[in-house]
Amino acid sequence: MMEIERQLLSGLDQALLALMILVIMFGMGAGLTPEDFRSALRRPRGMVIGFLSQFGLMPLIALGLAVLLDLPPALAIALVLIGCLPGGSTSNMFAYFARGSVALSISMTAASTLLALVMLPLLLELYTSGFAARLDAELRAAGEDATFVIPRVNIIISLLLVLVPVAGGMILRRRSPGWAKAAEDTAGFTAIIVILYLITSAALRHGGLYVSTPWQIYTGAVGVGLAGFLFGYLMSGAFRLEPRFRRAISLETGIQNGPIAFAIILLSFAEPVRSQMLWLAILYSTFIVISSSFITLWYRRVGRIDDELHRNNRVHQRLFGEAFQTRYPEALLPPKLRRIAHRL
Amino acid sequence: MPLNRITAPNLAALYEKAAATFADLPAFATRRGPDDWEPLSFQRLFERGRDLATGLIDLGVEARSHVGLLADNRVEWILSDCAVQLCGAADVPRGQDTTPDEIAFIYAHAGCSVILVENAALQKRLLSVRDKLPDLREIILLDPDAEPAPGVHPFASVEERGHRLRADGDRRVEERMTDLRPDDLFTLIYTSGTTGEPKGVMLTHANMVSQIENIPLDLTYRDRVLSILPVWHIFERVFEMITIAAGCCTYYTDKRRLADDLLAVEPTFMGSAPRLWEALHRRIRKRVAASHPVRRALFHTARFLSHHYQGSVFFLTGRRLLLEPPRPVRRAVLTLLHALRWLLLLPWYGFFNAAVLERLRQGVGGSLKGTVSGGGALPLEVDRFFNYLGIPVLEGYGLTETSPVLAVRTPASLVIGTVGPPIPGTELRIIDPETDDVLFPDPSRADAGRGRRGEICVRGPQVMRGYYRNPQATGRVLRDGWFRTGDLGLMTWNGCLRILGRCKETVVLSNGENFEPGPIEMRLRQSPLIDHCMVVGQDRRHAGLLVVPDLDGLRTAGFGIHDLAAAAGDEVVRRRIEQEIRRRISAENGFKSHERIRVFRLVPEPFEVGRELTNLQKIRRHVVEERHASLIEEMYPGAGDNGGSRG
Repeated sequence: MMEIERQLLSGLDQALLALMILVIMFGMGAGLTPEDFRSALRRPRGMVIGFLSQFGLMPLIALGLAVLLDLPPALAIALVLIGCLPGGSTSNMFAYFARGSVALSISMTAASTLLALVMLPLLLELYTSGFAARLDAELRAAGEDATFVIPRVNIIISLLLVLVPVAGGMILRRRSPGWAKAAEDTAGFTAIIVILYLITSAALRHGGLYVSTPWQIYTGAVGVGLAGFLFGYLMSGAFRLEPRFRRAISLETGIQNGPIAFAIILLSFAEPVRSQMLWLAILYSTFIVISSSFITLWYRRVGRIDDELHRNNRVHQRLFGEAFQTRYPEALLPPKLRRIAHRL
Repeated sequence: MPLNRITAPNLAALYEKAAATFADLPAFATRRGPDDWEPLSFQRLFERGRDLATGLIDLGVEARSHVGLLADNRVEWILSDCAVQLCGAADVPRGQDTTPDEIAFIYAHAGCSVILVENAALQKRLLSVRDKLPDLREIILLDPDAEPAPGVHPFASVEERGHRLRADGDRRVEERMTDLRPDDLFTLIYTSGTTGEPKGVMLTHANMVSQIENIPLDLTYRDRVLSILPVWHIFERVFEMITIAAGCCTYYTDKRRLADDLLAVEPTFMGSAPRLWEALHRRIRKRVAASHPVRRALFHTARFLSHHYQGSVFFLTGRRLLLEPPRPVRRAVLTLLHALRWLLLLPWYGFFNAAVLERLRQGVGGSLKGTVSGGGALPLEVDRFFNYLGIPVLEGYGLTETSPVLAVRTPASLVIGTVGPPIPGTELRIIDPETDDVLFPDPSRADAGRGRRGEICVRGPQVMRGYYRNPQATGRVLRDGWFRTGDLGLMTWNGCLRILGRCKETVVLSNGENFEPGPIEMRLRQSPLIDHCMVVGQDRRHAGLLVVPDLDGLRTAGFGIHDLAAAAGDEVVRRRIEQEIRRRISAENGFKSHERIRVFRLVPEPFEVGRELTNLQKIRRHVVEERHASLIEEMYPGAGDNGGSRG
């Protein structure tokens, strides 16, 4: 079994991580306007399905994987925590390049971030109490004298703390859209650099960690995102949503807000549980970037025709009047799109 | 690449088939206000064209006759073209900037009895030379807001008359259509070219149909094409015919509104002359230079990354300029290095592509899948910029005489510095312009003659029937089906055509050394201080240059100059431009010593389209030499006896 003897991240690493969280959440806020929250209410169908997918499906997928792979309790809790997180601004960028609905993606990010204040503690309570009891027993057996419980209050406080820079970003956006854009770019870039730094620094100081980490943990870290993409797509398909909404919901479901996970773990959990949880969060954050890139390339390809039709319809309505309906001759369209081409 | 488009034996049948296939999809759109455009569907285009054709037949338009069409891009233009094709006639198109002399020459030479004119100004110009047009019987005015002169028919009345006739059972259009043969003319285009008197290029339905069937452009019914070049020019014309065959919509814009319309229409495709890309390139650079330092740094990082990343991508996908036979060992080593560089840059490029380059692409509408540049060579820097930015520039090559496309890049064979491989069905030879020996393809050589320079000759279904009523000129360029383009070129090792210049443009100095003015002028035009320039020096001791300074550029550089005459007289401006020329035409930039500019003069007035410039902004050398003869003489004092000029 994997053992993390020393602290996974040094004090400097942790400080860097905290800074990264601050910058990224600020950048996320800089990309949001109050309008995004309001418009979320105006497309209830997509939002409800997105909500079911993010807070219904995704935690269950994480739980299922944790049970199926028989993960040690600390890692199981981390995996479920990741499953319960709201979406991040990364998903908006991926949705854009995957020809998904960026508006829906942004609305879902905004709404889920707010809803997480209630949903996250609730879901954790519901799905992790079993793991928490096991962890408590293990820790006692190992001679620790403290009891382990899920730190509900701390989690809510961490979430609130994380929302402070988001609000700051939104205020900047209101004051100066130009600077807000720069903040968004900086945030994205910072995220990549810090993740790369954390991976290398972890590899240098705990080189054996990669090898000693059993396959179940890798499978869990990679699988939770992939399963999120798959089930998010299938569910929105079952509700007959348009392809570009399906792609947005799929990505939004699989891509979680990694920085919030780091914030919660750092602020609410103590060693030795903390290091184990952090390790899973690092693995998830790394692999999700890679798997999202591949999924995005794939969506980009399969979504070409419906996206082109959508853009064409939108331009036609803008230029020729809202009432204009582009009537595509059936023979030209791929069979799947025949019924819906004009209203994409 | 499967071409998602329809085809037909002639253009009249093409219009009919497009209406049957694409029905209610918009075919053309014209702007009425910023976000207010009016569409015309494929169905309505054909129906209205048919009514108009009936009206034209009733006015006396015969099968195989020539109908004048004096107008720029507007929806009535395409209706008129459709109608003329349905009449089984050919149109003789020219635009707004045609001079009265040219109108008189062209329409008399073509023997047009019916001419459609666009607006009041052109109507006036046409009427001013009416006595020189003995065949002219009927004039039709396209613009519904203009006042028709006495005896001139408004467009709507001809269409209406045709509509009534058809309602009463007139089916003459159907008879004309069945009577059309593939080798009938569909158009007669008079080229003013860069030299000499206009010549009428006879293009047949078969010529144009072969272009529709062979040009490898991935256009579909989901695309939007923004049209900015004059439609009576064959380059734009072939584009419009392909959009009709593909079922996509063409949106008409003009230079002044281009920036807005790019954002409004979000075109997926655009055909343009190099000048537009140069201007767009300059505008982006300017905007970047004026932006916040952080964003500027981001831009330059992105540009640096994309340059190296895409450089490797182009190399690894076999799309680099191969001017010499490939050397296997060298290639293997380079492939390895490029693969390494590609892998290293991939994540960084991925991020900057998403965060920075995408925003630049948004600035040109965001949906552009590709652009076609034709009618002149694109400067290397601009070419690279757009290609590496992720907007493929499909540079093509052709002449009016070849309807026009001979070769064009495709995404798979996008070799920067070439115009791509010849299109299917086109045979190409490189010959020695002096001896007519075939340099490529030469079966006696192992390399088949790749890399050898000479005049480009072509044979194929797109080559014109000849010049109208000008067998002499036809005989000079067309022998045994082979057309001599008058352009110098070579074939690269990966099968792409590289254009080197005009045969006749080659400047031969009095000491026998020669050079191509094209690359020098292109290099200089990249300067923000230079709007246009032309190299001279035929039979002179050394190369000289005429420069039209760029007033905006001068102002940005801090000169308080308001017109070109003032600039020409200003010693500081002169010195600044001299520095610019020295810096750009230098040995470091690959110019030989005899190509170095020794003398230059500032031209006190702009080069104008229709005078010094063709519509595609190419320089008419003979006009410049004539108009600015005194400036040229000034540069070569005491050379009166050997200062022969070219014809």
